[in-house]
Amino acid sequence: MVTVNRLENSPVKNLQSFSMVSTVQNTDVKQKDADRAVVVAVTSRAVFESGAEDSDGVHGAGIAFPLLQAFQRVNERLLEENPAESLLFDVVLITTDSQQQQQSSRIISSTRQHGLEVSRLCFSSEEDFIESLLKNNVQLFLSTDRNETSQASQKGVLSALLDETAASCPSEQLRVLFCGDAVIRPDAGPTSASKRAAQSFSAQLGEMRRRFGVLDSPLSITLMTSGGGRESCGGALRTLRSLGVSADEAYCLAGAPRGPILSLLRHHFLLSDGLGAVED
Amino acid sequence: MVKMSLDPVQVISGQVEELKVAPSSNGDSRGSWEEKEKFDQDLLGLSGKPKPPKPENAVTIAVSSRVLFRTELEQKVYEQKGVEEYLRYQIEHENEPFTPGPAFPFVKALETVNARLRDLYPQSEELFDIVLVTYNHAHVGIRLINTINHHNLFIERFCMTGGSSPIGYLKAWHTNLYLSADADKVREALAEGIAAATMFMSEKLTEVSQTQLRVAFDGDAVLFSDESERIFKAHGLDKFFEHERENEDTLLDHGPLKGFLEALGKLQKKFYAKGHRLDCPIRTYLVTARSAASSGIRALKTLRAWGLEIDEALFLAGAPKGPMLEKIRPHIYFDDQMFHVEGAAEMGTIAAHVPYGIAQKHNTKKNTSGGK
Repeated sequence: MVTVNRLENSPVKNLQSFSMVSTVQNTDVKQKDADRAVVVAVTSRAVFESGAEDSDGVHGAGIAFPLLQAFQRVNERLLEENPAESLLFDVVLITTDSQQQQQSSRIISSTRQHGLEVSRLCFSSEEDFIESLLKNNVQLFLSTDRNETSQASQKGVLSALLDETAASCPSEQLRVLFCGDAVIRPDAGPTSASKRAAQSFSAQLGEMRRRFGVLDSPLSITLMTSGGGRESCGGALRTLRSLGVSADEAYCLAGAPRGPILSLLRHHFLLSDGLGAVED
Repeated sequence: MVKMSLDPVQVISGQVEELKVAPSSNGDSRGSWEEKEKFDQDLLGLSGKPKPPKPENAVTIAVSSRVLFRTELEQKVYEQKGVEEYLRYQIEHENEPFTPGPAFPFVKALETVNARLRDLYPQSEELFDIVLVTYNHAHVGIRLINTINHHNLFIERFCMTGGSSPIGYLKAWHTNLYLSADADKVREALAEGIAAATMFMSEKLTEVSQTQLRVAFDGDAVLFSDESERIFKAHGLDKFFEHERENEDTLLDHGPLKGFLEALGKLQKKFYAKGHRLDCPIRTYLVTARSAASSGIRALKTLRAWGLEIDEALFLAGAPKGPMLEKIRPHIYFDDQMFHVEGAAEMGTIAAHVPYGIAQKHNTKKNTSGGK
């Protein structure tokens, strides 16, 4: 059963006449602890393949599908370790596409049909989606749209761009890549909201990682430095450590081309200094 | 901590090509280039150091942490107490550098050659590039970096795969030679067409040259294919001689280390071009059980047809290789037979096993393997 907040009856029509955000709670899924959960917003465009629907109108799986399954896997394993665990991923689906908004019920039913552990579904216009992110206390925003991640970043929300590589990633392990060249260095320039967001998310990720052993972890953290030499990578390792993050893998490229290495890392998304995926 | 004022992505993609590096090794030389060099290299966090070459231009040597350094103690912790305790131990001892391992003299010699190459060809990227490729988890990263610093090695690139196979990364780095303590990984690399060899720590190590890189190769199943060895193993010595005589003018097929010899030859020619034939800092040796009068001819003809020069060819006609190698004192000697590798090690020669070809079915002792 899905309950609708703030709007009654025909949700579609009302959404179009209000230029404001609305949030639908998915009562199939247990809501997370607002203080402790790590809220991750993913655009429905990334999760569902638009246009590809089966006869029941259920959307096909998109690029971010394995990613969502990976988030779920982490939560499952965290709860296995401690059934009272509150440091969990809280995945929120955000729909900014007006076309998809008209099909809000389809998105809701597709979410349920695929058994996705999405606690909330946010609908907003393209102009207001940042407001939606902030209202929902989103700590990480994932989208396939570069404009969206860029805008969100500028407003201080940690963002990352999703591309096709995410689609071929494992669903049993969440693989996060930190690009160390400019990331989370406390003394490199003024601390912006973006950097604070990156540090905070990293610290939470690190804490989650510590719940598991070295082997057989549902969460894997990789550090890559592209430009600098070993000192640069060593510095990044120490910075991560100061935030409570232990990297599993580390790659120091010292100027070598990133492409070949990136294609091997099989990461779901890449975090640099909060400005989204760095271009090759 | 390195302070970077520019977005490093912009620096790397647009402007790295423009960086001109003055000839220097480990930032020793001073000159009018100094200021610009320091500014540019600060951007890369490589102050005072030469810029690493592009992988496709360089002769890339990938070494694992267990052959570059001695990690027996840590290996014991891993084997006896498991990976968690092993990593805890590594972190606890982070500020204690590892001592040199079997590949260490070889790597130092590569750097000596690089210094000479940079003197003669300051703009060239045709250099040795040493990459640390290890199964280790990144928890060991800081200790490895501290160790590299301590020994003043010029290693700026590494892959710590946290247990994943390094093979993809070897390919991505255009690896010309991979050295590891783990025979399985070496075999995997060989199967992918990457020259590779297993190295072992031996207690006795004779001194090697500080000024000249010396690399010695066995012939069959190392530089050449194992086709002739198969004949020998199947039909005996007489048949082997007969076969070699009959096929004297037929080239042998290439073996897994042929490409590496070729890469060394290319660098040697750069020294010859500048008049350094007599004091070339790279010297290569063929140490084979073939005999000069008969079966050796086919080997020499093959090398000549490949356009490869080898500085010294030693045809032992079956005599033990140990004493000869002891005289040569190579920084590394490649052989496909553990028997010879062990024999060489007993006399203090740094020997590496190439687990390729028919001889692998006849190994006398089991290889050490497993771990990182």
